[in-house]
Amino acid sequence: MKKLKHIIAGFLLTLVIQAAAQGYKLPAYEKFKLPNGLVIYLMEQHEVPVISVSAIFPAGAIYDGDKAGLSSLTATALKHGTKNLSKAKLEEELDFLGASVSTYASKESAGLSAKFAAKDKDKVLQIIKGIILEPVFDTTEFAKEKKRLLVTLEQQKESPRSVIGGYFDKLLFGDHVYGNLQQGNTATVSALTTADLKGFYAANYRPDGSAISVAGDFSAKEMKAALSALFAGWKKGPKTNGNLAGAPISKPGESNVLLVNKDDAKETTFIIGAPGIARNNPDYVAIDVVNTLFGGRFTSMLNDELRVNSGLTYGAGSRFNALKNGGSFIISTFTAGKTTEPAIDKALEVLKKLHSNGMDEQALTSAKNYVKGQFPPRFETASQLAGLMTQMFWYNFDESFINNFEKNVDGLNLDKAKEIISKYFPKDKLQFVLVGKAVDIQKIAEKYGKVKVVEIKEEGKKGF
Amino acid sequence: MKKLLLPVLLLLGILGQAQMKADDVKTFTLKNGMKFLVVEDFSIPNANMYLFYKVGSRNEYQGITGLSHFFEHMMFNGAKKYGPKLFDQTMEFNGGANNAYTTENVTVYTNWFPASATEVIFDLEGDRISSLSIDPKMVESERGVVLSERSTGLENSPWEQLSQPLQGAAFLEHPYHWPVIGYEDDMKNWKQADLERYFKTYYAPNNCVVVVSGGIRLEEVKRLAEKYIEPIPAQPAPPKVNTVEPLQTGERRVMVQKEVANPYLMIAYHVPEARHEDYYALNILNSILTGGKSSRMYSSLVDKKQLANSIFSGYSESFDPTLFQFYAVTAKGIHENDLEKAIYEELEKVKQEGISEQELQKIKNQKLMEFYDQVETINGKSNNIGTYEVFFGDYRKMFDAPALYNKVTVADVQRVAKKYFTKQNRTVGVLKTNTED
Repeated sequence: MKKLKHIIAGFLLTLVIQAAAQGYKLPAYEKFKLPNGLVIYLMEQHEVPVISVSAIFPAGAIYDGDKAGLSSLTATALKHGTKNLSKAKLEEELDFLGASVSTYASKESAGLSAKFAAKDKDKVLQIIKGIILEPVFDTTEFAKEKKRLLVTLEQQKESPRSVIGGYFDKLLFGDHVYGNLQQGNTATVSALTTADLKGFYAANYRPDGSAISVAGDFSAKEMKAALSALFAGWKKGPKTNGNLAGAPISKPGESNVLLVNKDDAKETTFIIGAPGIARNNPDYVAIDVVNTLFGGRFTSMLNDELRVNSGLTYGAGSRFNALKNGGSFIISTFTAGKTTEPAIDKALEVLKKLHSNGMDEQALTSAKNYVKGQFPPRFETASQLAGLMTQMFWYNFDESFINNFEKNVDGLNLDKAKEIISKYFPKDKLQFVLVGKAVDIQKIAEKYGKVKVVEIKEEGKKGF
Repeated sequence: MKKLLLPVLLLLGILGQAQMKADDVKTFTLKNGMKFLVVEDFSIPNANMYLFYKVGSRNEYQGITGLSHFFEHMMFNGAKKYGPKLFDQTMEFNGGANNAYTTENVTVYTNWFPASATEVIFDLEGDRISSLSIDPKMVESERGVVLSERSTGLENSPWEQLSQPLQGAAFLEHPYHWPVIGYEDDMKNWKQADLERYFKTYYAPNNCVVVVSGGIRLEEVKRLAEKYIEPIPAQPAPPKVNTVEPLQTGERRVMVQKEVANPYLMIAYHVPEARHEDYYALNILNSILTGGKSSRMYSSLVDKKQLANSIFSGYSESFDPTLFQFYAVTAKGIHENDLEKAIYEELEKVKQEGISEQELQKIKNQKLMEFYDQVETINGKSNNIGTYEVFFGDYRKMFDAPALYNKVTVADVQRVAKKYFTKQNRTVGVLKTNTED
């Protein structure tokens, strides 16, 4: 394969914003609120006879407290049976219809995604209602789930790529809730019970603050009536769970290097990062364009230098992970253990070059064309459109953002780009995570900042 | 890069009600033998171009293993008009993106771009197909890239470390014996002459099928193809792969030592290629065994008996007889032998008692949803049409698939289970920390 998808993919949220190529407009949709506060988005799409649902709840890892993994397991356990259906029966019914329903939690929110044949909508929507409103958190099923998760957590330590992000967030955000470990660790997960799940569910799954989007082959009028009936009985929560993520994020005062030792590593997998931006940053689109050039596509400065010119790695890239109240900027790549130093040096050199040389007109035009040209396929399917609408809800933007995207991209000029670089791309106090063989690379690590060494097999305690 | 995961979803369920028909695919063949399949679709202002070259690791031999995949990389490193870096730079400047992948059977290049940039894409492709330049300096730096690709695969997935020796044991003679990425020592020794011969032999227009879908008219595609591609001369047909893997006459076992928390288990059975009549029944059996949580093996081995932490299986389309593979990670504290035994028990059940009508209907319903997934996007359309044309010999077979799946009976599924899931036909691989016990 020519490239690693996850490296080149760019912003998590790029999907949402790369809009309006060649006059792309968001198709018409309808938005309304039930008396209990639940917000519903509907968009008819009749190309294929399927319906996609995307729901979002304010129930992500930022609410885990000291029970890391709680939000994630609660989301998974929503499918462990409902008032009317056992877990086995629920799976059997969905599988028989060829329908998919998945539930998950991320850093800030939890969600549900579903896709099913239009003709099965009554049955599947009823099941979705049961999953969201009437989960039973069966003890036996939970015990099995937990056991599987504990094995999965061990397995992830066999893959540096799977764990490095968690280490980095903890290093960058420290005690801020954005540093919370999404899936938890062996100790915290082992301690969880269904009572914890029930408590978390009661506190955080609530109609006020949540949204459900449906896109696909249906009549909006009928769908509105159906959803209103299904979700009207969902009771408001006692009190809102508070803006925990609103607490200030402290900026690192110096460069730190977290070296995660993996004895059998042949490569060094690394992230170099710094504080990023919040999703509602007014420069969000401009930052995306500049990052595209720096590390967001195949010919980006980073990939060009580390892969194409030097053959040090299969892929190198950068991205801004933007959440509601802040975020991170990361450069990520990997290289053979023995080329750790040249690879890190080159990455830093490219960052320095971005600051010293900036970009020229040709490069800026290329990045703008690319961002615009790659946009429309991201909103081609009902699932993508349903997902977009829940993002609009969560990050509080509307179709003008999509419809004006091309204009906003075109509005970026060289002066503004220069300003974006100096304002948002870090120069110093960088934070490093290196996963590799410590005895071979510890000396090198010391070049870049204050080093702390941990074992990949060790439990991540507070602050590691 | 060979994908561990699994069959391209070719599963074209029951096409009756879907919008797309065989007649929506237009075709023409250039004088040099390159065949084009075109689907006009103006739902978004974008288009794509998928080029399927009939060359993969099955066309290699020991000493040059991995060359097909390496060549895939070299196709991006400069030609006559667009020199080093300019292929990607030009494409991205025009709003396009690309990728490529290599399997045992084919090398596929994928371009995604605004429909307005179609001519640029033809110019870029025409340039590299007609006059690729293989610069020795680029060869060296790209060698580092694929060595990194190999190493990062092994570093991050125990499955890579297990599936390579397993495949080597299951195929003793046929070139599916070696991994697509190649042997490390071969990778370090590919020669300029190997690359040049490869280009001439396999990158001939007559060895390629091209699919274009999106917001562009057939006439325009034809005009551009005639302008940019037709002048490229055809070449003699590439040599046939003659080696046929001899019948396996006894179970084979492979052990791999690696520090892991829980043992990894693979079981592989020889099964036929995509054009074989048993393809459809085997494909359905694949879903019955591991597709979804209500599937036989997930529900029995992961959920009820808790012997496995996860289980999946794969059966991909291929030119030559291939493998039907099971992948399972043992649950905490379980010996892999117990899991292995339980897998055989599930297979025995299908062989002895067959499957139910209800199960068969479930899979047919799932195939329909998979089909919708595939035709919902212009990329899904190109990928499927091209895959059918290349692996099944005719894109029209994609539109026959519904009938072929519907024809499969519970008796057929039982018959193929009995025929292929035998002890003598299997190769078993275990990866674990202590291989001495």
